[in-house]
Amino acid sequence: MAYLSEYQYYENDGNSPSNANWGSYQYVSLKDIVNNFMLMYAGNHSLVNNEERFKVLFHAKRGIQELNYDAFKEIKILELNVSNTLKYVLPSDYVNWVRISLYQNGVLRPMSENIQTNWSDAYLQDNDANILFDINGNILKPEFSNIDYERIKGTKKSIYLNPNNPQFDGFEGYYYDGEWYFDFQVGARFGLNTETANFNPTFKIDKKSGVINFSSDMAGELCILEYVSDGMEGGDDTQISVNKLFEEYIYAYIEYSILHSKLNVQEYIVRRAQKKKSSLLRNAKIRMSNIHPSRLLMNMRGRDKWLK
Amino acid sequence: MINSVRNTVLSILNKNNYGYISPSDFNLFAKQAQLDIFEDYFYQYNYNINKENARASGTGYANITKGYEESINIFSESNFLVHSSINKFFTPSPSTTNDNYYLLNRVDIYTNLRANGFTNGTGTNELIDTLTDFIASGVKAGDIVLNLTDNTSSEVVSVATNVLTIDDDIFVLGDEFSVYSGSDISEAERVSQSKISLLNSSLLTAPSNTFPVYTQEEPYLYMFPKTINSYGAVKCQYIRYPKDPKWTYVALSGGEPSFNASSPDYQDFEIPISDEPTLVLKILQYAGMSIREVAATQFGQSLENLETQKER
Repeated sequence: MAYLSEYQYYENDGNSPSNANWGSYQYVSLKDIVNNFMLMYAGNHSLVNNEERFKVLFHAKRGIQELNYDAFKEIKILELNVSNTLKYVLPSDYVNWVRISLYQNGVLRPMSENIQTNWSDAYLQDNDANILFDINGNILKPEFSNIDYERIKGTKKSIYLNPNNPQFDGFEGYYYDGEWYFDFQVGARFGLNTETANFNPTFKIDKKSGVINFSSDMAGELCILEYVSDGMEGGDDTQISVNKLFEEYIYAYIEYSILHSKLNVQEYIVRRAQKKKSSLLRNAKIRMSNIHPSRLLMNMRGRDKWLK
Repeated sequence: MINSVRNTVLSILNKNNYGYISPSDFNLFAKQAQLDIFEDYFYQYNYNINKENARASGTGYANITKGYEESINIFSESNFLVHSSINKFFTPSPSTTNDNYYLLNRVDIYTNLRANGFTNGTGTNELIDTLTDFIASGVKAGDIVLNLTDNTSSEVVSVATNVLTIDDDIFVLGDEFSVYSGSDISEAERVSQSKISLLNSSLLTAPSNTFPVYTQEEPYLYMFPKTINSYGAVKCQYIRYPKDPKWTYVALSGGEPSFNASSPDYQDFEIPISDEPTLVLKILQYAGMSIREVAATQFGQSLENLETQKER
């Protein structure tokens, strides 16, 4: 594949969308990676020989997935409105969350993951607590469990220091612009459980159901989800790419993955491939960390600040 | 070369009046001998690769592997495979590509169809279709043009709005054509029958236009993904078998057939001249058996063994 001309880069050769190639120079495509590997690291005179391309492809994609989980730092961000059922369906390429925030009044307010559960399945039971079944022998289930129902209705109490916390019940305060303010207990909560000392709404992720369940104060609010994906781009091989800083690592990863599962490869060769892979990952992570002297300087300027 | 080989063989056979082989017998033995040598190229190539890996081989004039590669490449052909149905394409054969293949070396997939239609005009080395805007379709010089009516192909030399100038004169009025990008090519990988189902159901390695695969079930190649389904999408580079050598002659003169190289069915050996001694020795072995002259066979065998040992 040839390098892009300036016109192709900025205007996508006049095609739509015009921004398709912006920033593309940072990345090397999956096709290039597999081609380069087959060309440079596999063959009659190489350690890797007589291996099918689909194996190389598999290891390349696995390597890219692993990098996406932590090393890449390529966070995807999605803003969605939380419905009245307090659910936020996870994005189709979601693998794990990084940060979930409430976006309110122009400010991002990071939320805490509830240390308790805020959702549950439930079975219908009779007065003697016997489980009820339908004629096919399947368990009957209510639409919502009690914990879900109370959360959605807004009557569930919270152990977090937000308006649903029972500690605020009965106290006088000021209600202004959708928030309660009190004249006491500010900065003087001895024995405070810092883990739950947060005013913002809370959430809990139901991974199997693929939703984030929020506390009742998130109804109708905007939620910003920062998450990581696995870089597989919905299975579109043409869209999968790797940051160039990790290119050499990916080759080393593929080589090691093949050699360590291949018969009759001497252990010292496997170890050599493993060391190469590990050191290249470290190098790439250092490069990705973007430690710039100017940024350090900015932080260091605060070193003489007086603490009152 | 064929006449020289025959003369040498006859010269050896005639020593001490051992015997004589007819032109038709010679042609049969010559075919066997050439096939023998042809197949041996691949074993020799592999042997020399192993020698290279053992650091027991040189470069430059000492690069024996290169010589074998060149010998094999004499039989290399590249042709678009004729489409059968859905994702089925015919393997190279006398009825589709005019030759039999020994092995399929590379199968390329053209993934970007730029234009297709029917010609509604004619011109020498031109494809004319006033209903298609070739420039707007993105057709560029170097793209591949295919005649779907008679399964021929050519390359775009220059592009005008409704006319493509192409390398060969392959179109007449009303021919169906398609134009593929000459640069969007993916190489398809052969996978075994036992793997294809697993591969198709794998999320990570399922065949795609970027990484296509194929399976083989004579006389077809089955392409995956199945969207690869038209003539022009699959081009194959393969090694064909050598053509059968044929020593042709005109009327007998003095009891001897006289060699005629201009006969329509004349076919010389296709292997390099450097293999002439081996050819002679191999034909001698067959001929020796034919005329029940063990000495000729043994002579051929011993010299061939000697030659093989020297080339190691």
